[in-house]
Amino acid sequence: MSAVGTSAVRSDGPIKARGQARYTVDVGLPGMLHCVLARSTVAAGRIVRLDVSKARQLPGVHAVITAADAPMHRNGMLIRDQELFASTHVRYEGEPVAAVAAETKAIARRAVELIELELEQMSPVVDLDDAVAAGARLVHPEWQTFSMAIPCERYDNVANELMANPPGVDEAFAQAAHIVTDEYRAGRQYQAYLEPKAVVAEYEAGRYTIHVSHQFPFALRDRFADALGIRSSDVRVVGHHIGGAFGGKLDLGIEPYAALLAKATGRPVKLVQERTEDFITCPSRENAIIRIRSAVDAEGQVLGRDFDVLLDAGAFAGDTPFLVSIALFMANGAYRVGPTRVRARAVYTNTAPTGAFRGVSGTYLVFAVERHLDHIAEVVGVDRMAIRLANVLRNGDPLLNGQRLDDASILGEAFAEIERVAPWAQITAPTTTTDPTVALRGIGVAAALWVTNPLPGEATLRLGEDGTIHLISAANDNGSGAVTMGLRQIAAEEFGLDVNDVITTMPDTDVQGFDGGSQGSRTTHVVGRAVHDSAIELRRKILDVASKHLEADVADLELVAGHVGVRGVPDRRVPLSQIATLARGTVGSLNATASYAPALPAYDPSCASGFIFSTFPNPTYHVHLAEVEVDPVTGNVSIVRYVVAQEVGKAINPVGVYGQIQGGVTQGIGYAIYEGIDIGSDGRYQQRTLASYRLPIAPDIPRVEALLLEHPDPAGPFGAKGIAEPPIVPVAAAIANAISAAVGHQINSLPIRPNDVLDAIEAGRAKLQQ
Amino acid sequence: MDLSLCVNGRQYDVDVESGTSLLDVLRDEIHLTGTKESCVEGECGTCTVLIDGRPHDACLLAAHAMEDTEITTIEGIGTADAMSPLQAAIVGAGGVQCGFCTPGIVVTLTALVAEAPCPTEDEIRMALAGNICRCTGYVQIIDAVLQHTSDLSTCAESAS
Amino acid sequence: MTFINARSTEQAVSELAVRGEELLVLAGGTDVMVQYQRREIRSSAWLNVRRIEELQRIDASTATGKPLRIGAMTSHRAISRDTLVLRYAPALAAACATVGGWQTQEAGTIGGNICNASPAADLPPPLLVADATVTLMSSHGTRTLLLSEFILGRRSTARRSDELVTAVELQPLPDGAGEVYLKVGPRRGMEVALVGLAVRLMFDEDGVVTDARVAVGSVAPAPFRAHEAEQALIGSRGDKSAIDEAGAALSAAASPIDDARAPAAYRRRVLSPLLARAVAQCYTQDTRR
Repeated sequence: MSAVGTSAVRSDGPIKARGQARYTVDVGLPGMLHCVLARSTVAAGRIVRLDVSKARQLPGVHAVITAADAPMHRNGMLIRDQELFASTHVRYEGEPVAAVAAETKAIARRAVELIELELEQMSPVVDLDDAVAAGARLVHPEWQTFSMAIPCERYDNVANELMANPPGVDEAFAQAAHIVTDEYRAGRQYQAYLEPKAVVAEYEAGRYTIHVSHQFPFALRDRFADALGIRSSDVRVVGHHIGGAFGGKLDLGIEPYAALLAKATGRPVKLVQERTEDFITCPSRENAIIRIRSAVDAEGQVLGRDFDVLLDAGAFAGDTPFLVSIALFMANGAYRVGPTRVRARAVYTNTAPTGAFRGVSGTYLVFAVERHLDHIAEVVGVDRMAIRLANVLRNGDPLLNGQRLDDASILGEAFAEIERVAPWAQITAPTTTTDPTVALRGIGVAAALWVTNPLPGEATLRLGEDGTIHLISAANDNGSGAVTMGLRQIAAEEFGLDVNDVITTMPDTDVQGFDGGSQGSRTTHVVGRAVHDSAIELRRKILDVASKHLEADVADLELVAGHVGVRGVPDRRVPLSQIATLARGTVGSLNATASYAPALPAYDPSCASGFIFSTFPNPTYHVHLAEVEVDPVTGNVSIVRYVVAQEVGKAINPVGVYGQIQGGVTQGIGYAIYEGIDIGSDGRYQQRTLASYRLPIAPDIPRVEALLLEHPDPAGPFGAKGIAEPPIVPVAAAIANAISAAVGHQINSLPIRPNDVLDAIEAGRAKLQQ
Repeated sequence: MDLSLCVNGRQYDVDVESGTSLLDVLRDEIHLTGTKESCVEGECGTCTVLIDGRPHDACLLAAHAMEDTEITTIEGIGTADAMSPLQAAIVGAGGVQCGFCTPGIVVTLTALVAEAPCPTEDEIRMALAGNICRCTGYVQIIDAVLQHTSDLSTCAESAS
Repeated sequence: MTFINARSTEQAVSELAVRGEELLVLAGGTDVMVQYQRREIRSSAWLNVRRIEELQRIDASTATGKPLRIGAMTSHRAISRDTLVLRYAPALAAACATVGGWQTQEAGTIGGNICNASPAADLPPPLLVADATVTLMSSHGTRTLLLSEFILGRRSTARRSDELVTAVELQPLPDGAGEVYLKVGPRRGMEVALVGLAVRLMFDEDGVVTDARVAVGSVAPAPFRAHEAEQALIGSRGDKSAIDEAGAALSAAASPIDDARAPAAYRRRVLSPLLARAVAQCYTQDTRR
């Protein structure tokens, strides 16, 4: 193959490296005004008075809008619980109460300072256990009036409850040799994309045009239309380069404010968030509490399990009712476990609404299950690797939804790959030291399955008059290169062209067909397949036109080096560029469109209630190993070695694949040991800037060793599976296992900060002395 | 308040309030938008420019303090038609994903190789401490520099 | 609106004499501009002293024991790489190399760091163990203060509004001595010190500590010398009981707070083991051992 499997350079690489790529923050339109939002500074309260008159009167201000100027109905992805502006109550710190459009951002900021908001503060609901306790104050007393796009099992402060209660769980506990009980906690993680959220909105002749760096333009279009109570065709979403997203730019966000102001003022309006504002209101990865109880036999096999998760939805449900389903897929992890009861609840609190971040919910679920397995190994007295190898899933094993995993034995191969480069017995050989200043060393391992998002995607291929192929699709990549590398390579391979002869587009919902967005590792697999399917159709059309021109049978034609020629007759050929022009006068321009929607696996719908995300399509398999060194004086953790074994189907672009693995692991390292958001009892974030929210930096990040397994997926383009999301999923688990092993004490919450490490070292030493 | 700045070898005259940052002048007055704004507190490095060849965060430089300095932005690296070899190396090695950090990183690394033509891996890592990348995990960027410098000169490929 | 780019000390001092009260003095801007961008401070009159060349020099007298003199506008980057500083004030060089990242180190200055007087500033602890003094110039003349008299508290110094800090002088590390600066933070860069500990020890030929300087930042409103801890080390060989006593004294003298970066309890508990590490490293630096 000439294109697929090579490390072709991404088409947008040079413009990005030169600072020429235009992101939404770089977009400017003539006459543009600047918007700044007025936001609540407390987490919960009744609005007594909101007076924007002084702001309206400030010279340079063109409009100020509030709930009184916005559509009254509520909106939401799954539960319609959200207003555009707080009308009677504020429910999280940062909730918008007004929006100002002015000649300059400085004037807009000054106007916001003149807005008078008087609140009668209420005691915020923050703690998850308190929120679900009987008699808890309701975040939304009127929750029953909220309609649902998809039915959710909800009550009081619970936005959706998943419940799976198969028979046999209690019996398993009755026969257990050991019962192991653990509670795990994980904090929020901020996506911290470097390009802050931004939008430029225009309103003309009854239509809105939204310029935005967005992962899912079609969903944005529809959610925006729903929020404003207009037809989706009255909205056009125009995509720009995305300066990072990772799930944080997947839903409706700040677009309506700029849009409503554009309509009110008759001018384009730009809104760019400041970093603290972006941080404290971002739909971050939710914080969660996971409680696991396992019935274990003498060898460490889990006979039954009780698995309970509380997910913090924040003040509005967002996608969290969806995410509770993931607990069902992750409750047993990558291992065979007896009957498992699973309950997972999305809980309302008076905090910023949470949302999607790479590896949704999986990062803490895998952490909990893998930490719990290490704990089981300790209780039973079995080696941590041996217990995994004895119980790992195999071909034909089911998930808890009844879905069969036909290829789960890939997990065993992944473990074998890890063993090949990091022989367990050797690297975990004990080194005893009593010197309290010497670094403590530990190894951890973790395995996971992950999913490929099955939303459909459409691609149109058109033959250009210069012999290029135009790949017209609303697919975008929020940095991964799935479009600018993968899809281009697939198209180039189909036509025997150079990758540079495949031209891609930016998303525009007026032009392209539906694409399910840059999420869940779907773009290469789903849109790549659509590209492949439409290439077959386009080839047929090209050969048809060529056969008439060359006066030959289609069966005698071949497409080689940008020409269609008669096989065996070197001088009877026509270049692709000529074919497009030829077709103009007869059949018209040569296009083909294909849409692909992956088949959903069979499952048992009666397995659980509240189960919205009900299958795990196209699973991939992952095993990670981490080696850490812990400084016993400071509690600092260094990741000195990190190995990934990942199933990829077919690596379309090896440099691109490695980039997703190295990048995903780095985000996982941040989640495990650096990035902490502490929420006070006042519902406010204590970390509010990048100075106190520590992102991973270059001096600290290890070089990940990536071992790729390739079992081609016949449904994928050239066998490719989704690869980009999962590298983050097992990281915190592997690192937490390594740190716990290093210090000799079970560490059960994330992030693991230096003070937590010192606590664990003390506890570990106390145990040794007993 | 009037101000004359030399950016990428060219003189620009602007009129802005005292205290306006160099970053705002570059993006909003001179319309060189390659230098990015992200944290506005000197943590992320997306606004890195060279002042007399040394990397600085433009968000924390008062524009009026930059008179009589030579300012180099990302637009001043490479030529009108081509990337610099270092830029090309970073692109080729997979060091660009979303690209928002890339201009700042290119500027910092351009200064690094000018000062230290054979940097070790640790020197590259420490030089990049003030440039956050959320996408790549840094390794491909570091490898691009190691490859580029070992190609260029008599640097032995560093093992460290 | 005024923005003055001072070209000489004389020019800066005369501006300060006329309107020091209203002028916002700008050095590297790595603290002042952050505060300005956050709208915590406002000003329409600025005095930029960063580019005064005569304030960017590092000098040492050829006579033994004479102080090392660093111009107030010398950058952290320049200080961290200067051969005189590396030889005679290695703890200061190490501290300067940890302030933010490369960008911060190019812009930021020693004068700016001490005038900003953050409790977590990196430069004061190594300066304190070197008996640093601060030179201030005004139209009335020059005065010199010990650094410990110059930094009064959190973001508060003895600088009068008509004064310019022109230089910092410190006692060079003598032979038969060692010094370190240990900074506590989870990452290898870009950290505001959770604890910043500087230790300078002088030894006799048998390895007995003849003089000890211990200074710490980030555990009180201002960085300070821990005199009781110093006394506990003097006369010892850096043995465990001396270090335990010194560590306990250091912890007792500290009054750390909880903040978004770390809890007070963490800052307190690392002090003693950190001091032990610092003492051990000082010993390894004494070239006679």
